[in-house]
Order: sequence, then structure tokens, then C-alpha cells
Amino acid sequence: MITRRHVVAGAGALTAAAMAGNRPALAQGIPAGYSADYKDLVDKAVKEGAVSIYTSTDDVQGRPLIEAFRAAFPGIRVDYNDLGTNGAYNRVISEAAAKQVGSDIVWTSAMDLQMVLVSKGQAETYKSPEAAQLPAWANFNDQLYATSVEPVAIMYNKSMLGALKPPQTRAELIAFLQTNKEALKGKVASFDPEKSGSGFLFFNNDARTTSDTWELVKAFGGTDPKVYGSSGAMREKIASGEHWIAFNLIGSYAIEWAKKNNNLGVVLPPDHAAAFSRVANISKGAPHPAAARVFLDFLLSQRGQTAMAGSGAPSIRTDVSEGLNIAKLNEMAGGKLKPIPVSAALLEASDPKTRAEFFQKWKQALRG
Amino acid sequence: MSLANDAPRFRAGVILALFVMVAAPALLVIYQSVLDAPFFDDNVRFSLDAFRFVLTDPEFYRALWTTTLYAFGMVVVAVPLGGLLAFLITRTDLKGRTWLEPLVLVPMFLSSIVLAFGYTVSVGPSGFVTIAFKSLFGAAPWSIYTLPGIILIGGLSHVPTVYLYVASAMRRLPSDLEEAARTAGAGIWRVSLDVTLPMVLPALVFSAALNLLLGFETFGIPLVLGDPNGILVLTTYIYKVNTIFGAPTYQVMAAVTVFLILITLPLVFIQRRLLRHARRFAAVGGKGARTNLLRLGATGQAVALGLIGLWLLVSVFFPVGGIVLRAFVENWGEGVRLTEQLTLANFKAVFEIPSLSRGILNTVLLAGVGGAIAVAFYLLVGLAGHRNRGRSGTLLDYSVLIPRALPGLIVGLTFFWLFLFVPFLIPLRATLISLLIAYIIVGLSYGLRIIQSTLLQVAPELEESARITGASVYRSWRDVVIPLVKPGLAGAWAMIMIVFLREYATGVYLMSSGTEVIGSLMVSLLTSGAMDQIAALSFISIALTAVGLTLALRLGAKLHD
Repeated sequence: MITRRHVVAGAGALTAAAMAGNRPALAQGIPAGYSADYKDLVDKAVKEGAVSIYTSTDDVQGRPLIEAFRAAFPGIRVDYNDLGTNGAYNRVISEAAAKQVGSDIVWTSAMDLQMVLVSKGQAETYKSPEAAQLPAWANFNDQLYATSVEPVAIMYNKSMLGALKPPQTRAELIAFLQTNKEALKGKVASFDPEKSGSGFLFFNNDARTTSDTWELVKAFGGTDPKVYGSSGAMREKIASGEHWIAFNLIGSYAIEWAKKNNNLGVVLPPDHAAAFSRVANISKGAPHPAAARVFLDFLLSQRGQTAMAGSGAPSIRTDVSEGLNIAKLNEMAGGKLKPIPVSAALLEASDPKTRAEFFQKWKQALRG
Repeated sequence: MSLANDAPRFRAGVILALFVMVAAPALLVIYQSVLDAPFFDDNVRFSLDAFRFVLTDPEFYRALWTTTLYAFGMVVVAVPLGGLLAFLITRTDLKGRTWLEPLVLVPMFLSSIVLAFGYTVSVGPSGFVTIAFKSLFGAAPWSIYTLPGIILIGGLSHVPTVYLYVASAMRRLPSDLEEAARTAGAGIWRVSLDVTLPMVLPALVFSAALNLLLGFETFGIPLVLGDPNGILVLTTYIYKVNTIFGAPTYQVMAAVTVFLILITLPLVFIQRRLLRHARRFAAVGGKGARTNLLRLGATGQAVALGLIGLWLLVSVFFPVGGIVLRAFVENWGEGVRLTEQLTLANFKAVFEIPSLSRGILNTVLLAGVGGAIAVAFYLLVGLAGHRNRGRSGTLLDYSVLIPRALPGLIVGLTFFWLFLFVPFLIPLRATLISLLIAYIIVGLSYGLRIIQSTLLQVAPELEESARITGASVYRSWRDVVIPLVKPGLAGAWAMIMIVFLREYATGVYLMSSGTEVIGSLMVSLLTSGAMDQIAALSFISIALTAVGLTLALRLGAKLHD
């Protein structure tokens, strides 16, 4: 039976075939710098015919990457499932228990949850030929790879802040919230660590790595704070003027939004340049093991990273010129960019005791 | 003669099948609630820790109290308004009632997430209505982020639910009693209170009880409007305990759901008591039921139209206006010149992204074809329960209302597990059939109540006379009951279509690449905050519903007389 999907894949194949004339390294060939037997892997992947991705990156943002992959490997269909961080985790552990693994690649921003999957033995070990291009902290035992570097940022509405000078550093932010406490009542937003995994990751990482985190949360608490489960929700409220300023939101998004809306200002505070990554692993017992490897390699390759950087996820490679990359971000942060490493320390975030302690402090500090 | 023991095998078979479909997710939830890990975990053990956690968490009690206020507040707002609107539109000569009716139903077309989102764009602190009001009067003295604001919005959005139940009952009432009262000199309010109201009491009670249940299950409105301010209801509390531990903690979600079931079962019991004498209200007899409309008079017309206009402004124009505006701009709010922001980019993205355009197609299929299948299933269940006063009838009533107590998200999650772990269901998991089955369960109490209250209005003497002349019970259903309730069936189909179009929570765990549906796509997009596409999808969903409704009306679904 010919489905619509096949037609789409077929159209992709034609485009890719047309492009192959100018770019011989692509389209089912061996990517430059890979070992000679990589062709066997690609052949196997094409024979498998599909790769299934469980992700939290929405279709809008993920699409350029998927299209670039299709152009490079027209024989491999991509089943892209945006399930959210919790949804992806839930589906992976449920399917593993039912012995019906459906995912080849798990690729989400929940660094901690995915590290739990690795610790539960749900990740395949695979040394990507691209691994050499990555910083050491971005590869956990050849099982879990960081695929982007996304700093946290302050975003504000220029006209609503008016005469108030927007804070440029984390220290200024604290002072800003303290001195303008009354004027800012109900106007300050941030991530909700209780409802958002990213929110918890950011604040918990802050609390572990910086000394002034609780002072900041306390100052935030004094402003009748509003907390949200996503950066997009905060953008909506800042752009409309309902809130004036938000902190700890995903900076790579904020930079994209500010490009389209002159009234939005973005600050990557140089004294607090934390960054998280979207992480990827191959599922244990993946239904398309070869295609999974080919996709992971592509995700980490210069082409894949270029596509992602173009849709707002800064590259973890220094040789990607599209959008932002780790080197540029580090420069913007005055050389102090501090990505959260992909390490077993992430498991702490899902330890009930760590979480209970964090939330106790969080609530206490928010009360001011 | 008694009809109670007719067709016992058919009744028992259907009711048992339904019970299995309904009990499976409920039992899975109860089982999960007394474990210390996901039920499929290798090291899982029995434990009451989840209940211990919930019962010692002050936030649970706060959420419980807020939910109670919300549910009762919603009934107080929705039932009188819905009843009044139904009366004005079906029983009086109100001007323009033919085109008013579809408008009155608009809030039903929208998933509550979309609705709440529309309100923030129109009457939120930076909404276009708020800004306009401020520039005219200096201040806008309302806040939609407070509990009363949320209750009011929740109540207004459920007016159509009440309206549909009451209007479908009112339409089946003959007007001779009202006319008699009018001739005897009673005013229109007297007539409506003393004649019409008692006759539609079953429908009012049904819709009040249903709204109370809906209130306990409510999710979207408190999620969007209450969350940033820390206003929690039980369902958003469930949502929160799912993330607060890092990895999903199904046992705590399940424990809270068990409390929801415990709250709703007594409601079902009370509802059954109230309706014990439903037979008294059967009004469609063997004689023709011609309806003559009550005259409102000039003042009456003005007051009624003014009232409806105000309700439409708040319940339809504000949220829909907000969504339409948001769908065609990238930025809005204070200091934003909307004329500079107009764009079609939001729609372009929707049509360019395969999963989103596929989602539109799937949603249409599921609502149209799936809705028809659902109505056929509900009719079978309705007939199995029709004039059934035996034990299986009691079982049926409870089976129908149990899924109402389960939040859509939980129903979807349990069905995801059932399709994953029950061997013969596995092949269906990645198809739209798995979604349809979950949707049928979620829409059960809505759809079945409509069909049941229609069936109830067929006077038993019609069936009795068919039986006396020698027809089997199946024949009396086929030749008497079903032809009489046909308009009700078309109406039920339209309504189920609407319910399926706007459903969002059920598909979140069930959909995969290839079986996306609009509502659940919006939830996925909400987690990353892609408001541009959410607004465009909401707009498309409204447009689809409008098309579906027009089609349904053309096909003979009589939403108005």
C-alpha cells in the first residue's frame, strides 16, 4: 500500500537525487571523515527504512533537522514523535516493560530523566564517529550525548520597563528586584521548578553552583512572583506587557524572539552563564538499530548541527557557523559559559531527598 | 405488562461489555494507587505510601477545597443560565433564535485550554478589551486570574452543556400545558417556573450533576488561568505531582484519581435517587406533539436579547476574538500596533509541518466517522438500559459515570497501557482505533445521557402497544423507538463530533507519529510554548467545528425547531 508518507519520502528522494550532482559527499554516500565500512551501516539503515524519534523538541523547531536528514538519507523515513519530556520518558519505560520498544532515538531536554533511562539500562552504547568533535562533558560513556548548548537568560519588555534600567548581570538582577519591589508587583516571571523539569534543572543547578541563588529567589518572592511551565508562555506574557521581565528562561529561544520583536530585550548575564543541553541516546533494543546510529551521527554532525542552530538550538560544535555555537556563546558570556555536564550527577535531580530539600528551601525563600 | 425482563441476553451482553471497557482503566488506576512504583516495574511492591503522601500534603487539601468551590460555583453559574437560554430559544418567539443557537453552542467547540488562552488575549491584564476599557474609563476592575474569575469563566463555558440537555428535553415537550396556563392568565415567568421547569427537571438535574462532575474533572481553565498564581485544583494537582518528583510518579497520580472517584460516586447515587421517578416526566405520547411558542412581547424581547447579547459577548466574543486575533499576529498587548503585526505565518507553519497537517486530517476522521461509530455504540448501550430497572440497569448507571470521574489525561494513560500490555490489543495501539476507543469512553456520559433522555421521552405505551400486537422487543425498538428518536440521534452525533473535535487530554499519551490529533498536538506544543501554532490550530479547530455543525444541521440534526 502506498501511503502519503511514502509519497513524501519519494519526493524527498527526487530532490536529494537532484542535489547529489553538486554535493557528492551526501545522499547515501559516506560522510566525510567516517571509516570506509560506514557505508555498510548506511546500507543496513536504508534496509530498515525508518527511524523513530521520541523527543520534546516540537515539530516546528525540529523540522529543519528532519528535512536535512531526509535530504542526506532519502531512503530512511523519520517518524517524529513530540511527546514532551515526561511523555517521552513514560513511553520509553512502559514500552521497555512490555517488550515492545518503539523508539530508536530518545532526544529531549530532560537531561536528568534521560540519565535515569541510561542508569536503568535503557540506552545502547555507541561511539559516534562525531564524538571527537564534542567537548568531553558532552558524552556520557558513549551512551548519552549532548546535542546543543542553550544558555539561560533574562528577557524583558523594553517599553514596559521604561525608565527602569534592565539588569545586565545576575547580581544586578537581585538588586533590581529588591529595589523595585513595589513597582514590579506581579510583573516578574520565571520557570516553575515544580511543574517543569527544565525549571527544576536550572534552579537546582543554580543552587548547587552559585551562592546567591536563594537570595535571588527571595528577592523574586518579594515581587508577587508568577511562575510558568515553559519559556513560550513567558514570552507571550512579556511581549503583551502583562509581565515586564522574566529570568531563567531558555536563552536560545529568547534570542530568536527578540530578533522578531524589537520590544523584547535579552540579557545573557555573564556572571551566571549556565547552559543546558538537549541530550540524545539510542534506545536499548531499538527496532531500527542501524538507522538509529546513522541518525545520531547526523544529529551530531556539522550538517545536522547547522540545521538545528538555524532553528534556534545553538550548536555544541565550534565549526558550525549558522546561528549560535558554543564558542560564540562562551564569548558572549565573557568566557564563563558553564554548561551542565552530562554526568551521573544529574541523577541527583531525581533523588526524592534532593528534591524534597530543594522544594522546602524554594518555598521558604519565595515567601521572602 | 412489564418490559423489564425483555431481551435479557442483549442487555446483559452490552452492559457487561461496557462495564469491562470502563472498569479496566478504573481498576488499573486503583491497582496502581496501592503500589510503590509503576505497575510494570520489576521491583514493584504493595504500598500505601502514595495515599500517605497525598493525605499529609497541605496542597492536596487546598486543591480539594478549591475544586469543590469551583464545581459548585460552576453549577450555580451554568445551570440557571443554560436553562434560561434553552427556554428562551426553544419555547418562546425570541427573534433570531435560529441563528442564535449555533452561536450559543460556540464555547462547547473549544477545548478549555484554548478558551482560557483566548480570554488572556482579550480580557487578561494586557488583553485588547482590557486596554480599550482602560483607555475609556481609566481602569479595568477585573482580574481573570483570581478564583472567582476562574469560576465565572468555567461556569460560562459550561452553559452550552446545560443548554443542550435542557433544550433537547424542552423541544420534546408539547406546548398544550404551557398554553393552558397562558390562557388561564399566567405570565410568562409563572408559566416557565410552574409548568416548563418541572417538566424539564430531569434534564436540569442531569446537567447539574454532570456539571458538578465536570467541575471536579476540570483541567484546562485552571491550568492556564490559575497556575501562574498558584491556584490549584485536583487535576492540576495531579499534573503537578507528576513532575514534582522528577520522574513520573503514577502511584500518586492514581491515588488522587481514586479520591476523585470517591467524590463522584455519591454524586451518582444522589442523581439516581432524584431520578427514580423519571417515568413521571415522559411527555411524548401517542398524540402529535405540536409546539406553539410563547409570546415574549416587546419588552420581553428586548430584555431577553440584551441578556443573550451580553452572555454572547462574554462567552463567545471575548475568547474567540482573542484566538482569532492571536492566530493572525505574532505579538499583541500593550504598546503593540496590531496592524503592523498581521501575518499568515502561523498558518503557513501549520500546513508545512507534516504532523500538524496530518493532525487536522486525523481529527476530522475521528470526529466525523468516529463520532458516528460512537453514537451507534451509545444507542446500543442506551437500548440495553432502556426501561431496565433490574440490577444491570444500576450497574449501567455507575459504569457510565465512572469514566466521568477519571480525568481525560488518566483515561488516555491507562488506555495507552492497556493497548501496550493486553496482547490482543497490541496491533491497535498505533492506529486511530485506540484513540477512538478512549474517546468513546471519555464521551460516554455526554452522549449516552443525551440518548437516554431522548429515549425516556418516548412514552412506554407506544412500545407496549407494539408488544401487545405481537412485535418482539427488538422489533419494537427498530420500528417504534429508533424512528422516534432519530432526530435525537443526529443531534447526538453532532454533539459527539464537537466533543471529539475539542478533546485534548485523552490523546496526549496515546497518539504517535501518524495518529496525531489537533487537541493533543496543542498540549504538546504548550509544553514548549509554541503559542503561534497553538493559536493557528485553535482557529482551524473552531473553523472545522463550524463546518461540521453546519453539515450536521443540513443533514437533519435538529438543534433548533
